[in-house]
Amino acid sequence: MRTEALANLPQLRQQHPAVFRRLTWGGVLAMLVVLAGIGLLALAVWRLELVPLRFIAGLGQLAHFITLMFPPDPGPHLHLILRGIGETLAIAFLGTLGAAIIALPVALMAARNTTIHWLMRFASRRVLDGIRGIDALIWALIWVSVVGLGPFAGVLAILVSDIGTFGKVFSEALEAADRKPQEGILSAGGNGLARIRLGVLPQVLPVIAGQVLYFFESNVRSSAIIGIVGAGGIGLHLTEMIRTLEWQAVSFIILLILVLVAVIDVISGRLRAAMAG
Amino acid sequence: MSQALPLLPAAQLAPLLAAYARSRRAVFWRGLLVAACLVAGSLASGWMAEVDLGKFGKHIGGFFSYFDRLTRLEGGGGRVWTDPGEWFWGLRPWLVQLGDTVLMAYAGTLFGALGGFCLAVLGAANLVQNQPLRWGAKRLAEFCRTVPDLVFALLFVIAFGLGPLPGVMALAIHSLGALGKQNSELVENIDMKPVEGAIAAGASWVAMVRFAVLPQILPGFLSYSLLRFEINVRGAAVLGFVGAGGIGQDLIEAVRKFYYNDVAALLVLIILTVVVIDTLTGLLRRRLLEAR
Amino acid sequence: MLVIQGLTRRFGAATAVDNLSLEIPRGAFVGVIGRSGAGKSTLLRMINRLQDPSEGQILWQGQDITTLRGAELLAWRARCAMVFQQFNLSPRLDVLTNVLVGRLHHVPTWRALLRMWPQADRAIALSALEQFGMGTLAAQAAGQLSGGQQQRVALARALVQEPEIILADEPVASLDPRNAEMVMQALADINQRYGITVLCNLHSLDLARRYCTRLVGLAHGRLVFDDVPAALTDAVAQSLYGIEARDVMDSPPPALPDGFAAAVA
Repeated sequence: MRTEALANLPQLRQQHPAVFRRLTWGGVLAMLVVLAGIGLLALAVWRLELVPLRFIAGLGQLAHFITLMFPPDPGPHLHLILRGIGETLAIAFLGTLGAAIIALPVALMAARNTTIHWLMRFASRRVLDGIRGIDALIWALIWVSVVGLGPFAGVLAILVSDIGTFGKVFSEALEAADRKPQEGILSAGGNGLARIRLGVLPQVLPVIAGQVLYFFESNVRSSAIIGIVGAGGIGLHLTEMIRTLEWQAVSFIILLILVLVAVIDVISGRLRAAMAG
Repeated sequence: MSQALPLLPAAQLAPLLAAYARSRRAVFWRGLLVAACLVAGSLASGWMAEVDLGKFGKHIGGFFSYFDRLTRLEGGGGRVWTDPGEWFWGLRPWLVQLGDTVLMAYAGTLFGALGGFCLAVLGAANLVQNQPLRWGAKRLAEFCRTVPDLVFALLFVIAFGLGPLPGVMALAIHSLGALGKQNSELVENIDMKPVEGAIAAGASWVAMVRFAVLPQILPGFLSYSLLRFEINVRGAAVLGFVGAGGIGQDLIEAVRKFYYNDVAALLVLIILTVVVIDTLTGLLRRRLLEAR
Repeated sequence: MLVIQGLTRRFGAATAVDNLSLEIPRGAFVGVIGRSGAGKSTLLRMINRLQDPSEGQILWQGQDITTLRGAELLAWRARCAMVFQQFNLSPRLDVLTNVLVGRLHHVPTWRALLRMWPQADRAIALSALEQFGMGTLAAQAAGQLSGGQQQRVALARALVQEPEIILADEPVASLDPRNAEMVMQALADINQRYGITVLCNLHSLDLARRYCTRLVGLAHGRLVFDDVPAALTDAVAQSLYGIEARDVMDSPPPALPDGFAAAVA
């Protein structure tokens, strides 16, 4: 079989030149993409000074810190840390809920099938894009300058930055709504509002509720860090402990965050399954 | 209507209406319970988070005057857009910083994507027999995903010193976790027939992954990685807050020193960058979805 | 020669293959028949080592292949090609690459992973495809082909492994009658032309009678029949298949109208 094929090689090559081409268009393209990727990486290494030597030196330091982290121990700060975790949870809860309530009407304006005018849709989309372009941490910075230090600024930061996310996600869900029930309502003489209330929302609300639950978990993680700029929650204490090199307390806080997120993940998974079922 | 619809006699109608009302009532009570939970949660959270609507009312004016100050030139009374040259006085260094920020996101995403792919494959029950290895890969991905990138950045800044290096590492590690989880869902849902075919033909484990697994998950993997890149650009913009490089350094300095014009200019630049990157990756992702 | 001694495989309480012993000389075309669940698949998968036996031995040319591990196991699988009911190709990869997967054992790993296949291996793969009339489809994605075409690609993959034995697990069960004939004919050609031993699970007795030189009947994992096809009387078939017997013995359905067959293909 092998000898036969090799004997026929010139003839095969003539019949199927494409198979024997070492450089195909797809191959060249793939190579160019890879080369561009490596080039960008080289640029990053040069610009950002990602020096291996520094990396290795730092790893030693890091390993040292990690050995100091065990066992996790809150030390004298247990009360403070628990209060911080409570604040974090409260910030995430209020922020998510508030954002969902405000984002729903905005999303109705931003969705093609429920907006009142295309200009309205265009304007609300741009506003949502703008809000989403700014990280929650920057919003926290802004709100701290407005209402002062403390968890209230954190609530507002999570709330505003989530309006952007929810507005986009909700409007996509609205646009994905099945047209058939809507046509049924219009054909029975319903007006536009009836179409949205009876034809669109019943389909979409469960989807939206699921998404809100899903984002609650990610918001807990966000609200755990906005304390870095003084907007309340556990982040403030975490920064303090890291700055003062109290590694056991640091690992205790990280552990608490992990547990909190895992618990919320389980609960929200149950709730979402219950809603779907 | 030309003719009235015949109504059922009340004796028949009443039990039907009652039955309907009964089933609706159950839904109503359930809704009320959910609402009550939400209100109770809000009140408790409001107390915990020191929400003070009075304070908010008092300060909401402050919010608008903050934006008013952001858009007023410091030198004279005019609005910033009347004199873009003055407003964007630091455009050149800012653009360099922005470029570095995007590069940080790129490097972080690249390393994270490669690591995430490996973790996803190593953690897949349908490809790896070794249970401790799988367990380790899964837990590592979960840990990296759950700890926010800024927490990693805080730690790394202490260990590696100030600058973009700890920032890139923080982004890479968090991306590794997030992508590891998303990709493992892809890997665990692949069609196993090609895998069996490759193994039966004598393919080694690596060759099997290359020829039977990678072709199946590549579009999804690239799409998730591009999405992560978008998220990392936003993330890289704030890493400077903790000294881990990028444009955030300038931004937090401008905020702390009340350089309102600079804050406004930097915010505009960040938003523009994010929108441009989102649009580009959005185009790419749509192409990938079509290829699927 | 393939020698199977006391081969047993249990899944929990169930026994799929039960104390099976068998000798198959090189160059034979053996059909394995029996109703679904009789252990035919498990037998073939154990020979390729996709599954491990609970007890017993499988010897090829005197070498025990049930104890192979690591590189030796890969080398054995390369010598022992397998063809599946569902073809088991990578649907997104092109046809030629799918065939070249069969060359993995003959090609340096780095070249294979980068898909920089040597010219000689491409020639071998293409010749195998040409042999089944598939040379012009080399650049197509495998998933876009019809079932019959995909099975021929799978056969080409098996062939380029330059195997000593081919295991075919219900290779025609998912195909329409015309393609089934074509694939069986191809297996018979391979068997005669290259002298490769073929062990083929078949549900249809008609095909088994016509193509195989020897039939092995399994029931509940035990060997219940082992003879030339002519010895397979209706009575024996009845005992092998029970109520399924009518299904598998009926002469093949009348040829389908062309348009319908094309639609199926």
